[in-house]
Amino acid sequence: MKRIIKIIEKFYSYRPATIFIILIGLVTIFSVFSPNHTFLNLKVITSILRITPILGIVSIGVTILMICGEFDLSVGSILAFCSMIMAILFSNGMNVFLAAFIALIIGAFVGMLNGIITVKFGIPSFITTLGMMMILRGVVLLLSEGMPISFHPEQKHHIFSSIFVGNILGIPMQFIWFLRVAFLFWIVLEHHKFGNWVYATGGNKEAARAMGIPTNKTKIICFIIVGILCAFSGIIETTRIYSSYPLQAEGMNLLAISATVIGGTALSGGVGTIIGTVCGAILIQVIDTGLLLLRAPAFWFRTFIGMLIILVVIINKYLRRR
Amino acid sequence: MGETLVEMKNIYKKFGEVYALKGVDFVIKRNEIVGLVGDNGAGKSTLIKILSGIYLADKGEIYFKGRRVHINSPKDAMKLGIETIHQDQALVNEMSVARNIFMGRELTKTLHLLDKKKMREKSMEILTDIGLHLKSPDINVKSLSGGERQGIAIARAMHFNAKILVMDEPTTALSIREAQKILQFIKQLRNSGVSCVFITHNLHHVYPVADRFTILSHGRKINDIMKKDTSIEKLEQLIMK
Repeated sequence: MKRIIKIIEKFYSYRPATIFIILIGLVTIFSVFSPNHTFLNLKVITSILRITPILGIVSIGVTILMICGEFDLSVGSILAFCSMIMAILFSNGMNVFLAAFIALIIGAFVGMLNGIITVKFGIPSFITTLGMMMILRGVVLLLSEGMPISFHPEQKHHIFSSIFVGNILGIPMQFIWFLRVAFLFWIVLEHHKFGNWVYATGGNKEAARAMGIPTNKTKIICFIIVGILCAFSGIIETTRIYSSYPLQAEGMNLLAISATVIGGTALSGGVGTIIGTVCGAILIQVIDTGLLLLRAPAFWFRTFIGMLIILVVIINKYLRRR
Repeated sequence: MGETLVEMKNIYKKFGEVYALKGVDFVIKRNEIVGLVGDNGAGKSTLIKILSGIYLADKGEIYFKGRRVHINSPKDAMKLGIETIHQDQALVNEMSVARNIFMGRELTKTLHLLDKKKMREKSMEILTDIGLHLKSPDINVKSLSGGERQGIAIARAMHFNAKILVMDEPTTALSIREAQKILQFIKQLRNSGVSCVFITHNLHHVYPVADRFTILSHGRKINDIMKKDTSIEKLEQLIMK
């Protein structure tokens, strides 16, 4: 018995534990209460696995940046901007792989711009990225003239679609990409020198600097990671829905921050895990789908997420005080 | 008292329109404990932040063992063996002891992956060496006492071969017992050949351990005096002047 208590205690000292328990709880509730238990239907589960990565991949970037002590409100706009560029280049006859690669480069560049402006001028990233969010959204609207641009790479390069949105043993490729990205950045944060720099920079910038960590460079690299992941997520989303549209991913910034915070990352920086964010992103999708299956009015989604954010932060604060 | 290790000459530093340092000279010799004292705003912290590479001086020269050096970053200072423990800013509270000790100087394997096992083992070894016994190198620094944290910062500096240990208000936030322990430790360091700069405005802490005092006031050095030539009351008067 004592041993069991010890295991439970150890599990609880692990930060993403709260979110994991909530996730399991909600899945159980939705499974039991959805009509005919449709929530456990393979189709429903596959659909969750298909949609989650869009938000999830962006949230992983947002998490790393938040651990480093900064914000990015422009993620949705970066995603839309990069998708739009890719779709336009492709519709003008460019090879789809090259177009996607250029989208990634542009994502990295925008991220770098966010980082350099924030660090060099010493302004809050909240402001920098709020500006960037509006600038890029405006540019996207201008480029598209308000109309969606279709994207059908499967006609020329079937393999492109298979790589990003195909299936392996019934598991959507985008979910596999999500897990790959999560694993990669889990390694970076937990087992790489750079991860130590990220935690140190976000936890106590002055101490990190005094120990010779290039804190500005660390922050800029985190912004670049966010930019690349937004572009990557945009490529997947655009391939999945066969088009890029001007209001693509609008509102994703707050959802990504929600997934991150629900996953246990501290707004103040220095604390957070990739695993928590993965659970956070899945949880948001589970709630969205679950409420739909319960035939609750769609408006409940935001209300529910909102309550959850506040609840989880309170729980985490209480757990940390112990 | 041995040869001169560090000599800072005619150091100027301006923040906006305000001069924090107006031509300060500062010397650190081998095997000595220097008390850098003065009232709040005298320029003590600014001076050592220049020495440790956090700020760049607007004017002035730094010599290390008689050779002119340029300290442009904390790394430059560390390479010379100048380790600094900044007030309240030495450690990252949310990180583990081991991660803190090797912060910025991580032990790595291929591809810069952390050698966590070695970092944990070494951490415990380093801490045991200075007489600090922690349960595990994985505990978060925030759950430790002020004295234990100061101990970790000192152990870290010693492990990386500090020749000069600069400490900014190392005893301020500590209990009386913990402060005594740190003071004892500073004395031991001198005996093992490390020079110390002890920055404080608490004369009662610095007086018993220091060999010499450099007094700053409003960005200028107003006195440099050996302990044998002064008393705690006299120092107090000098600072108040």
